[in-house]
Amino acid sequence: MAENSGTDPAVNTNADENAAKGGTIIMVTVKTPKDKEEIAISEDSSVAQFKEEISKRFKAKQDQLVLIFAGKILKDGDTLNQHGIKDGLTVHLVIKTSPKASGGSTSQASAPSPGVSSSNRSTAGAGNPPPASTANQSQGTGPSAAPAQPGNLLSGFGDLSNLAGLGMGSSNFMELQQQMQRQLMSNPEMLSQIMENPLVQNMMSNPDLMRQMIMANPQMQQLMERNPEISHMLNNPELMRQTMELARNPAMMQEMMRNQDRALSNLESIPGGYNALRRMYTDIQEPMFSAAREQFGNNPFSALGGSPDGSGAQPSRTENREPLPNPWGPSESSTTENRGAGSTATTTTTTSTSGSTPSVSNPLGVGSATVGNGIFNSPGMQSLMQQISENPQLMQNMLSAPYMRSMMQSLAQNPEIASQVLMNNPLFAGNPQLQEQLRHQLPVFLQQMQNPEALSVMTNPRAMQALMQIQQGLQTLQTEAPGLMPKYIQMPMILIPGGIPGAPLSTGGGLPSETPPASAPTSTPAAGANPSQQQLIQQMLQMFAGGSQSTQTPEVRFQQQLEQLSAMGFINREANLQALIATGGDINAAIERLLGSQPS
Amino acid sequence: SAAAADVPRNFRLLEELEEGQKGVGDGTVSWGLEDDEDMTLTRWRGMIIGPPRTIYENRMYSLKVECGPRYPETPPFVRFVTKINLNGVHNSNGVVDTRAVSALAKWQNSYSIRVVLQELRRLMMCKENMKLPQPPEGQIYTN
Repeated sequence: MAENSGTDPAVNTNADENAAKGGTIIMVTVKTPKDKEEIAISEDSSVAQFKEEISKRFKAKQDQLVLIFAGKILKDGDTLNQHGIKDGLTVHLVIKTSPKASGGSTSQASAPSPGVSSSNRSTAGAGNPPPASTANQSQGTGPSAAPAQPGNLLSGFGDLSNLAGLGMGSSNFMELQQQMQRQLMSNPEMLSQIMENPLVQNMMSNPDLMRQMIMANPQMQQLMERNPEISHMLNNPELMRQTMELARNPAMMQEMMRNQDRALSNLESIPGGYNALRRMYTDIQEPMFSAAREQFGNNPFSALGGSPDGSGAQPSRTENREPLPNPWGPSESSTTENRGAGSTATTTTTTSTSGSTPSVSNPLGVGSATVGNGIFNSPGMQSLMQQISENPQLMQNMLSAPYMRSMMQSLAQNPEIASQVLMNNPLFAGNPQLQEQLRHQLPVFLQQMQNPEALSVMTNPRAMQALMQIQQGLQTLQTEAPGLMPKYIQMPMILIPGGIPGAPLSTGGGLPSETPPASAPTSTPAAGANPSQQQLIQQMLQMFAGGSQSTQTPEVRFQQQLEQLSAMGFINREANLQALIATGGDINAAIERLLGSQPS
Repeated sequence: SAAAADVPRNFRLLEELEEGQKGVGDGTVSWGLEDDEDMTLTRWRGMIIGPPRTIYENRMYSLKVECGPRYPETPPFVRFVTKINLNGVHNSNGVVDTRAVSALAKWQNSYSIRVVLQELRRLMMCKENMKLPQPPEGQIYTN
């Protein structure tokens, strides 16, 4: 290659600069454990100059570079000559990444970034979705947690965010979900934020609750039947706690994964070990994966469940394999029906796995967005509606989930949490207008949910269809005669509960009452958010324990506020009531609302 | 006679010197003469890059390797310069216990400095070693 003698005509522009420094140019190979580059440098250069070239080529900062030649570390002040570095020789390079990063070159993207970033190893990759999804399944609880996480089938939230997307113009639900996922994937920060959401954390620190939720999922139950080990795992509170701890702490997760890998690779080397592993894989992992594919909401937890089982026993193999199937990817098989049948609302959001078919909550979610938006008539919405009517099963399944019901009720009683839940949806964050609308509309339709009749309506496909027609009629009417819409809010709202249940479901993660959730969803302006939230949370908790409920009509609830309003001079009692309902009893907000509609 | 043994020895060591300079191997260890003027090719320096996913990760360990007059018939004498907590390395002075490193214990004259360094690195990855608490980075043995 390069000649030893004489000035080599510039091999590259760098050589020119280097030549200016005097001396012959030599080609030195710079080698990292992963990489190898040839760098032209003047033989009289200093180590510092050499590092400059290297930092350009390897795209790393100069102070991250450590050069080794012939067993000695090259100091910046030394010269290449000093160390006898000549043409054709090799210098070893170590790129120091941040303190805890992988040794050797940075090409090992074991990245400290938690959550979803695709790690260098598939295991870590597989590990990441699980915590994310587990968190989700466990309920992306908190407001923020819910929709933002990939593979979050559980919370119908994911679907509500779709409606936000609708608001933004996209009519293709799958696209929306993919967008969401992409967004989250590319922004691991989001996930960590979500995980740090005290609501999420609180939820995850309650092992019993987690277990309940997981068990409530029929898919999971199936899985458990097939693989009794899994039920062992689930029933072991210690394990659960550990798992949740893991899910909470992505760094720990990775750590665990690595240990798993190591353990497994050790296992492999034992004679006969490989076969044992293979058996493990076929016995446990495959059913898990197929369960996962049907129901992504399941798998992450199962995979996770395997991990704490450090002994290298069965399920541990799971996360070592390829990354979990992409929940947001093109749907594999299952039609909505398959999914719908036998899956509760939680898992229904399988929309992800299904890909093409919007989940149950979707159409409903769409409903809420459409209110007053005209989005209702978007093609996406309509196809959703179609699907709803075609698959009454879905609706029924979703609504029949016991906790669904109680969720809805609790949520109805406390619209604040619902709005918070919605507001914290990262996707929503991009669309304040939508937020506004939803915030106003939430309380109203929440009221609707309290009405058992509304519930039965929702489960009746024909009724739904009729509703849809009415809604369409109303929409038309609205456009034709804008002044004639007194109760337009009411009807569409009925549809919304479907979407919302997803939300409460997530929040319902049965947070311990001590939680100060107010800290988490800070965006909600609702006055007295804290106590009411706690109240809601308690309700949710009770819900899981069997639930209690109290229903009051808005008039009764807002009796006091109504009186106050009329005392202030707002004599239009109906308008007052509407405003109060819309703002959930917040007098100040109601007043603003009233004043807004009567410019003076 | 001594002279006859020297030729193969020097031959060998020069070969190893060249390999060290050319970066033969996977790039995780490095070696070379301590002093380029050392005509006896006795004193060598080695460097081991701590393996990832171990407690040694991201650290560089400097070693001294001494190839005696009967090398490669006899194994070299190895000691760590950078402080390390590793089974088989004396805590006080970094000297590597010949019995603890199989390449040294069962030395063959086809082995080389590289082999020894690589084995030490492998030891760092053993379960019993990979999590040992380590002294702060940058400390060296003084004796």
